[in-house]
Amino acid sequence: MKYLVTPLVLLICGSLVLYPVVFLVTESFNVGDPGQFPPALLGLGNYTDLYDDARILGNTALVACLATIMAVLFGFTLAWILTRTAIPGRFMLERLLELPYYMTPLVGALAWGVLAGPKTGLLNQLWQLLGGTDLLDIYTAYGIAWVMALFEGTVAFVMISAAMKSMDPALEESSRVLGAGKLHTALRITLPMVAPGIVSATIFVFAEMLGSFAAAFVLGIPGRFYVVTTAIWEATLSYPPEYGRAAAMGLSLFLVMLVMLSLSRLVLRRGNYATITGKAFRPRALEVGRLRWLLLAVCWAYVGLSVVLPLGALLLTSFQRFATVIMSQSIFTLANYESALQMGALGSALENSLLLGFVVATIAVPLVSVLVWMIYRSNMPGGRLIESIVMFPQAVPRLVFGLGLLWAWLYIPIPIYGTLWLLGIAYLTVFLPLGMRTMAGVVLQVDRGLEECARVCGASWLHQMRTVTMPLLRPGMVAAWLLIFIAGVRELGVSVFLMGPNAKVIAPSIVNSWLSSSSELSAAMALLQTVTVFIAVALLFAVARSVARGIALRGGEPL
Amino acid sequence: MMIEVSGLQVRYGDVLAVDGVSFAVARGELLTLLGPSGCGKTTTLRAIAGLEQPCGGSIVLDGETVYSATARRNLATEKRGVSMVFQSYAIWPHMTVFENVAYGLRVRKLPRAEIDRQVERALTLVQMTAFAGRPASRLSGGQQQRVAVARAIAFSPNVVLFDEPLSNLDAKLRAEMRVELRELQHRLSFTSVYVTHDQEEALAISDRVIVMNGGTIEQIGTPQDIYDRPRNRFVADFVGSANLIAGSVRPGSAADGAAIFETAAGLALRISTNGTVRSDETTAALRASYIHLAPVGDTAADAMRGNNLSGRIQRRLFHGDFIEYVVTWPAGQLIVRRPPTEILEEGSEVAISFAPEHCVLLQG
Repeated sequence: MKYLVTPLVLLICGSLVLYPVVFLVTESFNVGDPGQFPPALLGLGNYTDLYDDARILGNTALVACLATIMAVLFGFTLAWILTRTAIPGRFMLERLLELPYYMTPLVGALAWGVLAGPKTGLLNQLWQLLGGTDLLDIYTAYGIAWVMALFEGTVAFVMISAAMKSMDPALEESSRVLGAGKLHTALRITLPMVAPGIVSATIFVFAEMLGSFAAAFVLGIPGRFYVVTTAIWEATLSYPPEYGRAAAMGLSLFLVMLVMLSLSRLVLRRGNYATITGKAFRPRALEVGRLRWLLLAVCWAYVGLSVVLPLGALLLTSFQRFATVIMSQSIFTLANYESALQMGALGSALENSLLLGFVVATIAVPLVSVLVWMIYRSNMPGGRLIESIVMFPQAVPRLVFGLGLLWAWLYIPIPIYGTLWLLGIAYLTVFLPLGMRTMAGVVLQVDRGLEECARVCGASWLHQMRTVTMPLLRPGMVAAWLLIFIAGVRELGVSVFLMGPNAKVIAPSIVNSWLSSSSELSAAMALLQTVTVFIAVALLFAVARSVARGIALRGGEPL
Repeated sequence: MMIEVSGLQVRYGDVLAVDGVSFAVARGELLTLLGPSGCGKTTTLRAIAGLEQPCGGSIVLDGETVYSATARRNLATEKRGVSMVFQSYAIWPHMTVFENVAYGLRVRKLPRAEIDRQVERALTLVQMTAFAGRPASRLSGGQQQRVAVARAIAFSPNVVLFDEPLSNLDAKLRAEMRVELRELQHRLSFTSVYVTHDQEEALAISDRVIVMNGGTIEQIGTPQDIYDRPRNRFVADFVGSANLIAGSVRPGSAADGAAIFETAAGLALRISTNGTVRSDETTAALRASYIHLAPVGDTAADAMRGNNLSGRIQRRLFHGDFIEYVVTWPAGQLIVRRPPTEILEEGSEVAISFAPEHCVLLQG
């Protein structure tokens, strides 16, 4: 029995995860008829073609560099303010700063399109009222990078905060005691201690930006400004579809990202003296005096630019008859929400997304719980192998994985292509790592002794699971469910390839509506999506607090 | 015998964490497994509880074989009827104190009134009745420890296993709990195996002590035995404070458990041996507390002790409960502990004396 389970799990996970990748690799070497499988003609042509697209590579590097610089700059500033200075309302601000991430770069790009489009952008109109000419143009490399930094740069803030929090304040205090001044301490002690965290975050963010899709898609396509990810998408749509070239680009992107992410992890492990204890400290907050109002203003400005302003712009647009008219002539209407919610193609997209998020989360949580238990708690052979397979999709850019899935399921003799079933399977595959990470964190924090003690007290395995293990895991499972639900509702990269005319989901539908230049309808749909996600996020925060309380008591450590 | 462990082997990957450990625990006895971390003491305890799967040997609890490698028998933890206090206390944070303590009773499906009575009794024994309704997540470390003990004894088990139960408490609380645990064990007369790395705790609490190292047993004996007659260098070093003196037994001098030991520096000491003397035995151990010091010339009691030498006080360290002297003598340095009433000046010449039975020849 025990020896059957591992191969079975390996087979299921392996076919879910590796099967699409095999297709992707094969297709990238296909230089013959792109629609033929297995390919008749193999070669390296698709890879050598990449050099011909020097402009795309240049665009990608430019956007990723700009976005990384901005994201790390924002992240460092905010992390420093929130962890090292005594400004009022730190806890709430920390939560607010996570919101842009949940809003998604797609919604962010739409909103900034409305805010800073040439001529008709709300900010430009305001500037014109003040007597200027056009101020901002979001449809440029800078604009794309700006949106990416705002809405995907949250990870920089989180990583740098972690590095700053993990530093024992005694290290700085001893420098002060030995006679060094504030500045000397900052340069010789603080900076070297947090430097690995910052370098690691920078590499990580850069890799993420290389694989970013939504902002470049919404803001780049209208001006025919392509980066690698949008070029992949374009290649699959051209006629005849250049699947081989798309696959070669996708795999190259995957490899570059893989190297960078490993490098990021290596830097963190090699250089991080501070986190050896794994303890989180609350460093002593710097007394900043009256400067704290300025610092507070910086934080709120960020929240304003990344949450309030975009949502406000979308809200305003969504009530407009025509979004692109001059504000003084605006006509308010609720028609856009009616169209978005109608049981037409668009209304069903939101409904489908909710359904998919609900069903996939409900299936994934028990599945992931069993997997996590097998890998981390039972001494089952092959546990590590299962782990690396299940975690694999996280290393592949979502769009590239979507491409592989498209191919894999086109050629399977089960007629689910273009249905919600395929989207469901795809979501499950790409969300497994998210679920695994969340549940593993919860499971590993439950002291093994808590379970063992139940057995020693005379409880059977089943009784122990029911009375001890499950109640302790429940908050974590709820959190994992909500995270997967959120991920499902906002999914774009995979859906963009697998959505069919009868199986629409929300994010790609927003994109389509945007591309057919109906920004007021897109705005209404984007807001509906954002509201759904925010409700789930609010629930998540509420649960997360009780999760923290539940697992803070680990073994003998008093609260 | 309540617990009989014989030839126990536990393997972690390529390492034999426990390598052929055998011992027996009598009914109502408290036996301690003492050793440095990684010596296999906790693994042995967990094997008795059924939480580790051994790969060799056998374990018998109250006449019932719960593990046997030859009979391919391994009874599940919950069917062994033992109880255990975990190092981490393992207090379930999602239950109240009452629910924690009642767990073992509820599993056994006792009537509600009986459960209430037993929980009350257990909480009274650890002085935690006032906390019964409190969520377990709101307890201090010491309180959690008490609840863990109450939970372990609530269903009146015959065997209670303790896995370093006091190691997470501060020194003062640890000393108090030591006395309480011993009282509790006497009162309820359950059989106990107690794991610790604290030699002081082991000596204070136990009927018998097993000193373990590298997965094997170094010595079994009463606390007094282990302290007075350490069998080898490891035990002498790990338990208590001992001076190790290099030298060799004068050939032909060994008789009736006594011998003359010639140190490397040429001193001749009267020592005791464990019967036969082997040629590889080149170290003698002398407990710091068993050495007498007196100002030179004060010879009133010295002659009685069998070994009389002279040295000089190099350093005096006042510890409160005792004074530690670093004494130079012909064989090097000697650590001596004396009661705080015996004060000698640094730099003064002293007479050193100790009885032959306190200077023990070590094996290996």
